[in-house]
Amino acid sequence: MKTRYQSRIEILQGTLDLLILQTLQWGAQHGYGISQAIRLKSGELFDVETGSLYPALHRLERSGWISSEWKTSDNKQRVKQYRLTARGRKQLANERSRWERLAAAIAGVLSPQE
Amino acid sequence: MHFPKWNRQDADLTQELRSHIAMAVRERMERGQSRAEAEAAVRREFGNEVLVREATRQQWGWIWLEQLVQDLLFAFRMLRRSPGFTTVAVLTLAIGIGANTAIFSVVDGVLLRPLPYPGSDRVAKVFMHFSPQNAPHGHMCQADFSDWSAQNQAFEQVAAYANGLYDITGIGTPEQARGVSVTAGFFPIMRVPPLIGRTIVNGEDSATAPNIVVLGERLWRRRFGARADAVGQAIEVNGQKATIIGVMPESFRFPREDAEIWTNLHLTPPKGRFPFFLTGVARLRPGVTWKQAQAEANKIGRTIELAGNGQYRNLTMPVVPIREELVGDVRLPLLVMFAAVVAVLLIASVNVANLLLARFTSRAREMAVRVSMGARRSRLIRQLLTENLALSLAGCVVGTGLAWYAVRLLRVLNPGNLPRIDAVRLNAPVLAFAVVMAILTAILFGVGPALESARTEPVRALKDDVRAGSGKGRTRAALVVAEIALSFVLLIVGGLLLRSFERLQRVDTGIETPPDEVLTMLVSPSATRYKDAKSQLAILDRLLEQIRKVPGVQAAAWADSRPPNYWSNDDTFNIKGQPYNHEVFPSSPIPTVSPQYFSALGIPLIRGRYFEDSDANDRPNVAVISQELARRYFPGEDPIGQEIAPSEPTPKQPWYRIVGVVGDVKYAGMASEAAPVWYAAVAQGPGLPMFLIVRSSREASALGEEIERAIHSVDSDVVVTYRETLSIVMGNAVAQPRFRTALLSLFAVIALVLASIGTYGVIAYSVTQRTREIGVRIALGARPAQVLGMILRQGAGLSMLGILIGVACALAATRAVSSLLFATSPTDVLTFAAVIAVLLGVSLWASLVPARRAMRVNPVEALRWE
Repeated sequence: MKTRYQSRIEILQGTLDLLILQTLQWGAQHGYGISQAIRLKSGELFDVETGSLYPALHRLERSGWISSEWKTSDNKQRVKQYRLTARGRKQLANERSRWERLAAAIAGVLSPQE
Repeated sequence: MHFPKWNRQDADLTQELRSHIAMAVRERMERGQSRAEAEAAVRREFGNEVLVREATRQQWGWIWLEQLVQDLLFAFRMLRRSPGFTTVAVLTLAIGIGANTAIFSVVDGVLLRPLPYPGSDRVAKVFMHFSPQNAPHGHMCQADFSDWSAQNQAFEQVAAYANGLYDITGIGTPEQARGVSVTAGFFPIMRVPPLIGRTIVNGEDSATAPNIVVLGERLWRRRFGARADAVGQAIEVNGQKATIIGVMPESFRFPREDAEIWTNLHLTPPKGRFPFFLTGVARLRPGVTWKQAQAEANKIGRTIELAGNGQYRNLTMPVVPIREELVGDVRLPLLVMFAAVVAVLLIASVNVANLLLARFTSRAREMAVRVSMGARRSRLIRQLLTENLALSLAGCVVGTGLAWYAVRLLRVLNPGNLPRIDAVRLNAPVLAFAVVMAILTAILFGVGPALESARTEPVRALKDDVRAGSGKGRTRAALVVAEIALSFVLLIVGGLLLRSFERLQRVDTGIETPPDEVLTMLVSPSATRYKDAKSQLAILDRLLEQIRKVPGVQAAAWADSRPPNYWSNDDTFNIKGQPYNHEVFPSSPIPTVSPQYFSALGIPLIRGRYFEDSDANDRPNVAVISQELARRYFPGEDPIGQEIAPSEPTPKQPWYRIVGVVGDVKYAGMASEAAPVWYAAVAQGPGLPMFLIVRSSREASALGEEIERAIHSVDSDVVVTYRETLSIVMGNAVAQPRFRTALLSLFAVIALVLASIGTYGVIAYSVTQRTREIGVRIALGARPAQVLGMILRQGAGLSMLGILIGVACALAATRAVSSLLFATSPTDVLTFAAVIAVLLGVSLWASLVPARRAMRVNPVEALRWE
């Protein structure tokens, strides 16, 4: 238990937004669902803290990249669902390409040639 | 407190987080955990719900506003919980902010606000300055005016006016109003439209134009009940029929504050370059600077000097913007006062900062608790700053109340004879100033203590007794040194002004009769009824005869001048047998007086005799000279029997034989130097109007009514004005210095009180902190006197350091006020010594109270403390 907890990696500063946008690409989702999705997709490596998740969601909504609406879930609970907006889609593309360039650059620096 | 929208958003957020938790719990239960297990795990995972909510809400953008309101409300609750601290702090700030607001409202009204005339910053008065007249803002004659207006390029329009007294008759009770006669350009330059009717237009200043007058609103309301049909009516002004053509609004007070009537000046073709009675007024052409205008005026001045054919020397034409002319004299005193109140506010801030430091020390536990509960440092600092802001705003409200009251008093009493006092009020800019001052003050006194306090280390603060040492002692000591230095400077400036005012009051005016036994009034018989010297002499004699019958009148005399600051006529002079040189014979007052003038005022006779009734119109001219004139021009010889004449020597000039020498009297103001003065006899050169000078055997002011009745029994149309005892005249002459001295002394005393409170606070704090140390000392055998000495030395050390810095600052500051001082050096040793003694004494006294407490420390208790 303890080792597993320690093996988790903190999400890199500034990448949470990208992960959220990416997650919402496949459809509307609520906060809990987003955090679960990120955790599963990262192979349980990323643990999204609620203290970061909800500020990020509200920030993205204020920036107009995602929108929210209240839905009633299967077991009759009111949940707030977020979905990607058109501007959010564009932003996602930007963030993605930025990340890919960054990853490539880091990989280049770390590669053992020479 | 919440706003509706925030309430909904808050509820939504709560709901959102709840649903998150519910879903997480359900999922864990679906995986087989028990409800309790699942809930505990989720809570651990989720973290502190309050913090999550707080962090999320900060994304909303206007959270700061909500927090500010929250903080402010919390702050007011905190302040209400310690009423003693709050009262002292708020009152201290109220005095500081109130004084600033009041003085700023004066600065704003008098110095900053534009005059109520459109484009008044482009309007100037133009004077003439030349030898031998030598008045810095002297008059020009009509020929000078026409030369100037003919050559003028810099101004788009020029005009001239002459001040005058106007007897208004033909509408019931005769009345005298102050006013001006003006050329046609005057009103167009001022651009103020009349309330009703019209103003004087082109051509109406010609020699043959009919007499017309424009009335001031006050006069119009007073005499015509504000009736519109006053326009077109004819009245008698100085005995001549004149038609009212318009009424100017109350706000129009140009060229003098008390002007109530404007008549048309008749420009008759001049016979020569005299008399000098006109002042120029002009509006600058767009694009021309004051400097260019002055340069042009100087050039024109030179051509006038040439045209004068030797009549003028060193002629210049000073161009003075009208605001400068109006407030030039009070600018420096007002700025000095403003600096003084800013210093008072600084001192008040320092005191409040010290109070806050002490308070935050005692709140260290509270801070520690909040830090350990997870409050962020920046949030704590903001909370503390908000508390200071609340304090400061409360001070601002109370202070503005004080200022409102002060300004009201100031406007009613105008104790300083300030120009434009009507424009002084607590208006929007002044209130804005007060609020800005309050915010600045909050930052000034609050940031240090707040930062200091937020540095709290929770563990230490919670564990230790907070009284046990901290590094704040030094900060507080530095603050006190600063406030002692500031109050030292204020005390020095106040002290110098006091000393100089005391000297001004003790100035020997040369008048030996007690001033409250002398009644003066300006008596104006109609100038049209009494046109020539003979009829003027006759009415003056008849009036005097009746006045002397009033019981209590001991001596009564006519004079065209009134000490200490008014004379009607001055001119250079020459003495028979002495080569004339305009530098040797400056322009000097030539009062024309009747025989009892000297005895009424108690001007001592030094040689020869006073004027006598025998010095009549048909007798040889006689003169009485002042001691200073005798000293300068007749050293070592007897002036009696010598001959003197007005103006420069001319072949046919009338000589006046000197018959007496009298003591020096001030005519050019209390602060003026002894100057040569010579007197002529009314009987040998009468004029109207004349001041009546009466010496009374009883309270002089009580005689006024009876004397006026006596005057009107001779001629009911005689106008009487300026009925004042000499002590009032003298009081008015020093009103401005008295006002600024009183205010600055008040500020200095406030500063002293605040600084002593500050010293007390710091020493008392330090004694509390050092209780254990003092206990140890006493236990080890220190005598109470030694303990007392130790604490007093600490207080003395602070004040000495403050005084040292203060002396350095004062030496710089007093140079700026040296022009306000009379017969007092800005480095007056006595003042410096006295202020040092007072400050040292007061700060020792302030540290005596805590020092005595230290002396009585019980070592057993002190050591058991922790």
